[in-house]
Amino acid sequence: MTASVIDGKAFAASVREKVAGHVARLKEEHGIIPGLAVVLVGEDPASQVYVRSKGKQTVEVGMKSFEHRLEADTPESDLLALIDQLNTDPGVHGILVQLPLPGHLNEDLVINSIDPAKDVDGFHVSNVGLLGTGQKSMVPCTPLGSLMMLRDHLGSLSGLDAVVIGRSNIVGKPMAQLLLGDSCTVTIAHSRTKDLPGVVRRADIVVAAVGRPEMVPGDWIKPGATVIDVGINRLPSEEEGGKGRLVGDCHYASCAEVAGAITPVPGGVGPMTIACLLANTVTACCRASGLAEPEGLTA
Amino acid sequence: MTAMHRAALIDGKAIAARKRAEIAQQAEALAVDGWQPRLVSISVGDTAAAALYVRNQQRSAESAGVQFEARTYDASMSLEQLVGVLQGLNADPRVNGIIIQRPLPDHIPVKALQRAVHPLKDVEGMHPASIGNIVYNDLALGPCTAVAAVEILKTLPLRLEGLDVTVIGHSEIVGKPITFLLMGLGATVTVCHHMTRSVAMHSRASDAVFVAVGKPGLVTGEMVKPGAALIDIGINRVETPDGPRTVGDADFASCAGVAGWITPVPGGVGPVTVAILMQNAVLATQLQKEHYAAEYANTEA
Repeated sequence: MTASVIDGKAFAASVREKVAGHVARLKEEHGIIPGLAVVLVGEDPASQVYVRSKGKQTVEVGMKSFEHRLEADTPESDLLALIDQLNTDPGVHGILVQLPLPGHLNEDLVINSIDPAKDVDGFHVSNVGLLGTGQKSMVPCTPLGSLMMLRDHLGSLSGLDAVVIGRSNIVGKPMAQLLLGDSCTVTIAHSRTKDLPGVVRRADIVVAAVGRPEMVPGDWIKPGATVIDVGINRLPSEEEGGKGRLVGDCHYASCAEVAGAITPVPGGVGPMTIACLLANTVTACCRASGLAEPEGLTA
Repeated sequence: MTAMHRAALIDGKAIAARKRAEIAQQAEALAVDGWQPRLVSISVGDTAAAALYVRNQQRSAESAGVQFEARTYDASMSLEQLVGVLQGLNADPRVNGIIIQRPLPDHIPVKALQRAVHPLKDVEGMHPASIGNIVYNDLALGPCTAVAAVEILKTLPLRLEGLDVTVIGHSEIVGKPITFLLMGLGATVTVCHHMTRSVAMHSRASDAVFVAVGKPGLVTGEMVKPGAALIDIGINRVETPDGPRTVGDADFASCAGVAGWITPVPGGVGPVTVAILMQNAVLATQLQKEHYAAEYANTEA
């Protein structure tokens, strides 16, 4: 059996297209333009790449992009004042503070000072609690993207056995909540799990989010299972000075032999993350404006 | 039946009494600092249904050194009026915790009231911020029943790290918080519910099983791994030839023949839950004390 490949790039493009349609409709029918503010503190090169590509995609779907770049030594009070100002700005519907922040800034404090209704990353403790209690919330982008792909591929997830490997706050935990919300039987496995191969072998859905290159081999996968590989790991380069290959948490070749469907790395979950950020911004904009929120763009 | 028992009975009343003794010491230390822990219970409308709970809480509070005031409001109160009452209690430094008794009249949505309680006074652990903190594994006021069930497991000689656990029932206030609390402690948790194809497949592979569904007899002996811990959170009234009885979600007789430990119903999770409410009262008071100290320090700076 060879797995069908879940094309994250194409799927992300279809999500962005949907978002663009809603943006156009909001503009035409209500005169509202959704706005996303991204705050970057410092010069971290990877963060700069992310922020640039977020800004570009925001504009491409017709939304307003507000970029705020602050010096690496920005005092916490200045950052909090900026967030305060964005919280009250009616033109800003989503606020994203690019993580990681420089060491002198308290990440929890900064994230929890964002208005939960504008917290398009879904990391504010209130959003976590709302998701945990089955209420309307902002859902973290990577798990949301993974859920959308699973729903698109499998239809109803109800009653399926799902295993989430990894219990991080930004992927594993919200992913488990979302799968429970769709009535999967969910096991959350992690580094302390005694029989990880045995646990994974029971699963119809495997979501791997640990950050360890190729740690899930094909013989852990139940034949026909759907594998969502959230990991993005760069292997050491074989040539000196070269860039190593990007791989996921699953050993792609062997897993693809057994699985029913699998997301590749790169080109699987990765592209979905920014698409879901845009989706969250439109959802936040509709809620803030008292309009019905678009279907299929959130959990 | 007794001869077939293999499981050790978990004595919830004794665990609760030990907890209350510990809490009483902490409450006294806070009182000495001028922070006597104090709870306010709010009942609205028909209070008969909750009267037994309120009395239980009052008694538990007394023995834990926590002050307890039971207030009742007329069923005609609007949501806005009740939120106003809560805002008053939120602002009152002499009140450290607020309990909203259920059932509430139909026109009062319980979640709206729970959200109106300040997270630092949310001794029932129902505010979204409290649940969020549990998920993030931060020190927090957790939902009492979930915390009680986990505390009971902690009294057993089991290593929680790597422990295989099945939680049956994924309610927002019991099943899910138990899951996140246990995950934070290093257990591998599987959550089952009414859509699960084979609960037995999961429960039989587990070292500990929590059940919180509200269905008498749901868990039978053959669903339990020999020697496992069974924590029964269900409380169901059933009619028997000898009159009405309170039973859990487990078929006690068959499960007690297989499990290593089992909580009885009544007398298992229930009493510990009330003790945890008092523990939350003391924790909330401590958090408020620190919060005020920090605010004061900021104005000095």
